Amino acid sequence: MIHEFQKKAKKLPKGHYYEDFTVGYVFQHHWGRTINEGDNSLFSTATLSFNPLYFNAEYARAHGHPQVVVNPMLVFLVVFGLTVEDLSEAGGLFLGVDKLTFHRPVYPCDTLYARSTVIDKRESSKYPTSGIVTWHTEGFNQRDELVIDFRRTNLIPKRKKP
Amino acid sequence: MDVKTLTGTHNYFEDFNVGDVFEHARGKTVTEFDNVILTNLVLNTAQIHFNEHLTATLPYKSRLVFGGVTAALVIGLAMQDTGENALAELGLDEVRFRAPVFHGDTLYAFSEVLDKNEAPANVPSNFEAGEVRFRHWGINQNNEIVFEAVRRVLIKKRPR
Repeated sequence: MIHEFQKKAKKLPKGHYYEDFTVGYVFQHHWGRTINEGDNSLFSTATLSFNPLYFNAEYARAHGHPQVVVNPMLVFLVVFGLTVEDLSEAGGLFLGVDKLTFHRPVYPCDTLYARSTVIDKRESSKYPTSGIVTWHTEGFNQRDELVIDFRRTNLIPKRKKP
Repeated sequence: MDVKTLTGTHNYFEDFNVGDVFEHARGKTVTEFDNVILTNLVLNTAQIHFNEHLTATLPYKSRLVFGGVTAALVIGLAMQDTGENALAELGLDEVRFRAPVFHGDTLYAFSEVLDKNEAPANVPSNFEAGEVRFRHWGINQNNEIVFEAVRRVLIKKRPR
């Protein structure tokens, strides 16, 4: 049985399809995210990332940092996560990441933002209903300093023909 | 507290030899908690990682572990042996996902020392360190490769 509100509801889709990407187009991604100490501790311990820089402030200070360092893999995943609605939420296999550089440390209370440029798109012979798209993603802190950049490639579905 | 006493003594820059291959001791079963909390924590909005009702209709029939979580777990499993004495993570390259990972799969990590650089550019002045490049592999409980990557790490030299 379909409820009354469902008959009236307009679906609000998310994400983009292969046809929507133009090489050279720049996405300034939504939201931004402030990383807090809880995020960093949960992430570093749940992933067994056992370098005390990420969970011992005294150890981090002895190595020249003002406080614990945010786990670089958390920086990578947050910047990646901020890009997903614009780039890959519509589906398709995550094929890989190349030329990722961690440019400077991130500390708790820093805020991360993400921007991506479409750098390549091509047809897939193996998956004719999708195409392959590559983006150059850059992550910045609240001072607009580059903290990470990488190239990500995904299979992206084409719009279904009517 | 003498911070030298807090980390292992077998994994300084000098201890890595090009060509060494390591099997890391611990595995980790990727739980629903790990995948869903980490996917949502980093604002990854792709439902294929957290909507079981949707994924029941898709080819794999269940939620997929986010590749970023697989990457973080495999590199995490290798971290104590290859980054416990690191000053900084420098970068990743050739990151590839060879097979899907599902809740309940168990991951193990292996690493190879690809090369070492005695004098990288960006060592903080009060430490001696060098750059080591590793290849990492993640395998599942069926011995299938699920993940591969090359990782560059700045690792302290043994304190004198």
